Amino acid sequence: MTAVLERDTTFDTRFATEPYEVAWAGEARWFVQHVGGDGTATYVTQVSPDGITWCDLDDVEHIVEPGKLVSWPAAGFGHWLRLRAKVEGSVQVRIHLAVKA
Amino acid sequence: MTTTSDLRTALLSADPRLSKFSPLPRILAFDEFDRGTHGWTELLGNYNGRGDLSTVDDHMRDFRPPQLSACNFFDIGTHGALSGTYALKLATRPHKGHTAVAIRRLTMSGRGLVQLETYFAFKSEATLGGGAELDNFGDVQWDGNTHPSEAQFGAFTVATDLCGDGGLRYHTVARYQNTDLDNHFTRRWMAPTVPEPTPREHFEGKVKLEYAADFTAPNPEDWQAFGEPQELCYNEVPTKVNWHYLRWLIDTDKRRNVELQVNDRVMDMRDVPVPPYEERYETLENLLNFYFSVRTHSSVRNFLFLDSVLISVDW
Repeated sequence: MTAVLERDTTFDTRFATEPYEVAWAGEARWFVQHVGGDGTATYVTQVSPDGITWCDLDDVEHIVEPGKLVSWPAAGFGHWLRLRAKVEGSVQVRIHLAVKA
Repeated sequence: MTTTSDLRTALLSADPRLSKFSPLPRILAFDEFDRGTHGWTELLGNYNGRGDLSTVDDHMRDFRPPQLSACNFFDIGTHGALSGTYALKLATRPHKGHTAVAIRRLTMSGRGLVQLETYFAFKSEATLGGGAELDNFGDVQWDGNTHPSEAQFGAFTVATDLCGDGGLRYHTVARYQNTDLDNHFTRRWMAPTVPEPTPREHFEGKVKLEYAADFTAPNPEDWQAFGEPQELCYNEVPTKVNWHYLRWLIDTDKRRNVELQVNDRVMDMRDVPVPPYEERYETLENLLNFYFSVRTHSSVRNFLFLDSVLISVDW
């Protein structure tokens, strides 16, 4: 399944994606595309026991520059996934989460 | 002598997956969400010929992807669904007025009775932490039985989008309004008296709605109640899931509602208005769409859980 968690949304400050349940899935991959804006953002995968309280899955930061599409896998993620992001400037983002059983 | 009807009834009764439903003669779809989303997908407004999503109406650009949920909660872990582990979950953002919508798209090979059945539950997201003031919300003060979470749930809707016979388009709609926009309990069933605003009406400059507007009918004055108020089983706190039965019958030959059953209540809907669009629509011949939506009237995420859906017809 593919979920579009942000669809060309513009951010100019820190944000996190809405909680997404992946209890059924064994694989997950993020696709983050900057479709507009001249800013850069740094993304970290987060996990949660309950969809309310969150922590980083790992210490890897993924940097996305204007016009770029960046992808990375997530493994060992439990039942929930989201991204947190730090933004410099203004970014317009499209975020796909692809998950498989 | 055993008749075909007797045999069918026996077969349905002996099948634990189907015996909790009362299908019409032809089953078009049987969606157990323990096994996938079965074509229930996010609704999105229309965009231009270049895939430019900035041309999507503001009030139809963020209806959120439905999720396969194990009904996981902070206090008890996995609750699970009625028919297995997973349910389809519609989740709003924590933004007053935000709506999440899942739609299923079919077409009609006939006219007549169409019935949608489902087992559903509705919850608000749990609130963790904060001060004692969070024990109050709307009409509720936490007393060990009633919980402020229940007053943080706005409304859920089941509806259709139907078109045929030369582009005549209309919606049938049934909404359970748990609270009004001021978070007071109303616990009533409602339907709009006007057709839903469409992307073409926006394109033609007739309507422009803001983000989080009520896309089914944006003006609260355009909704009217039917039947008697009905209290459902929220079950006290935001982390207990009790499944409710819903059966909704419409008639696409007469372009009318027929009746709505929710648990032990059957409501006659034959006099509930079904206003068609005045103008005809193209590319929608025999359109048979169903959608569920959930709308928060607070700054708390609202969830609609569906265990399973069965759609059947008499044609």
